[in-house]
Amino acid sequence: MIKVRDILKSYGNGESRFQVLKGVSLDIEDNDFVVILGASGSGKSTFLNVISGLERPDSGKVFYDGKDITALSDNEVTLFRKANVGFIFQQYYLLPNMNVDKNVKMGADLADNKDYKTVIEAVGLGEKLHKYPSELSGGEQQRVSIARALAKRPRILFLDEPTGALDEETGRQVLDYICKLQKEYDFTIILVTHNLNIAEMANTVIKMNSGKISEIYTNETKKTAYEIGW
Amino acid sequence: MIVGIKNASKLIVISIIACCAVLVCTMFLNFYFDVRLIESEITSELSMVFYNAQVSTAKVVCFVSGGCLLLTAVVMLLFYIKHYIDTHKKELGILKALGYSNIKIAKSFWAFGISTFIGTAIGYAGAFFIMPWFYELQNEDKMLPEITLNFHPSILFYFVVLPTVCFSALSVYYAWYKLKKPVLLLLKDNLQVVSKPPKHRTEKNRELSFIEDLKRSTLKSKKTLVFFIVFASFCFSAMTQMSFSMKDLSSEMMGVMMLVIGLVLAFTTLFLAITTVINGNTKTIAMMRVFGYSQKECCRAILGGYRPLSYIGFIIGTVYQYGLLRLMVDIVFKDMESVPAYKFDVSVMPISLIAFIAIYEILMYIYSEKIKKISIKEIMIE
Repeated sequence: MIKVRDILKSYGNGESRFQVLKGVSLDIEDNDFVVILGASGSGKSTFLNVISGLERPDSGKVFYDGKDITALSDNEVTLFRKANVGFIFQQYYLLPNMNVDKNVKMGADLADNKDYKTVIEAVGLGEKLHKYPSELSGGEQQRVSIARALAKRPRILFLDEPTGALDEETGRQVLDYICKLQKEYDFTIILVTHNLNIAEMANTVIKMNSGKISEIYTNETKKTAYEIGW
Repeated sequence: MIVGIKNASKLIVISIIACCAVLVCTMFLNFYFDVRLIESEITSELSMVFYNAQVSTAKVVCFVSGGCLLLTAVVMLLFYIKHYIDTHKKELGILKALGYSNIKIAKSFWAFGISTFIGTAIGYAGAFFIMPWFYELQNEDKMLPEITLNFHPSILFYFVVLPTVCFSALSVYYAWYKLKKPVLLLLKDNLQVVSKPPKHRTEKNRELSFIEDLKRSTLKSKKTLVFFIVFASFCFSAMTQMSFSMKDLSSEMMGVMMLVIGLVLAFTTLFLAITTVINGNTKTIAMMRVFGYSQKECCRAILGGYRPLSYIGFIIGTVYQYGLLRLMVDIVFKDMESVPAYKFDVSVMPISLIAFIAIYEILMYIYSEKIKKISIKEIMIE
């Protein structure tokens, strides 16, 4: 279980100081599918970076099963990420000089996962093991980044606008893969987006506005990627 | 102006190499021209032998040092222009998309020739500053008649004006050649990597860890950097060992000069190469850090592959300095009775190797600290 308490985060100094997160608190259950919704500048990506251990808050705490990751040293946070966390970004960030197999291996080696090719199969890229990112479409590249994140067998998967650079159909496919894989591998999803419709796929929806949580609600009936609008 | 003086100032390594090359070559070539003027005044046979040895030494040093450093400077210039175009390809793509022609963009690359001018001018001036002392040392035993230091305009032309013009022209031509890409290739990041057909992979290769795979891929992606790392360790090895091994063959001043040139070349080249490796892999390192790879693992993957190459460079440098000194003693000074027999200095080599390892590892430690500071923001700021 993830417990977030009173997170404050700001950037800049003096007069140019800008408060991005203004006292955010939240509880997230294991294996939940959480969508964080908000307009550009609402602080949702900063919040994702803080709860995933990529950035330190100015104050506040983030507990994973009772362990406060904000109190850990840089090396300990790295080890925490290595053992628990997977990331998927809007821009994929694949290694351009490495093929699909090696890009996924980047995640797999951290978990000593010798069976990582099943994940590549699961995202439908079994035939493209030796292709380089430049030879793949945007949707395929995002599927490689999904495989890379899941090959390290994370407990929590963080996604920052994973469909932001994709067209409607490809975006749906990617979300569908993520949902299917969550059922198969059991992990918590925390997805940041500005697309209201994607929220209908989640169990829990958190709306953010101006650095604060403005609303939290639970979907009674979840929709699939193919049932939502875009 | 697309490429400004500010960009050219980053080519300080080329300035340093040009400076070293011109400094050494000007001294020896000027001496060569001046010593030739006194040939008719030499009467004794012994003096003639000494004269011939001095003339041959000047020629060998000019060709070997000048040639080697000129080649390195050219490779570095081409590497830097390619690197500049790769890192600024979006801006250049936008200019092309707006209608700027390749030649119009390429013309601004002449500014890279300024670095050559600065280096050669300093080297030339420095040579004239040292030359009176150098002339005195070359004729320390007064075996030759008085050698007068003269100004030879042709040297100024060949070592300062010509390299500046040639390097500027080469910069423009190479930039024009590299810019002959479709606009989309310059604008889109993903298209930069040429599609490669999958190679046949052996079972052994498949089992390599990600870190080992990345280490190989980093080495393969920038082959010029491999040359620079080998060249840096070669310079360190050859020049440090030569400066000590030559103590019986040459003056102390020559030894110190060689040592300083060797260290300056080695450090600047290593600095350029490692900085380029890290800057070129910032995104990769940032992603590795995000995923949970430790600082040590990042260093091993990005910089580890260059260590064996630096040792290879050191070995080549050792063999080179031995070969060159052997050549000088056996061929150039063969008729001179007072020249001692040259033997490989076994005590200098291990000391030089230990110094090299210590310096290399300190540099790697400094850069590993730089890697530690790379964060996810490095890839998000786009």
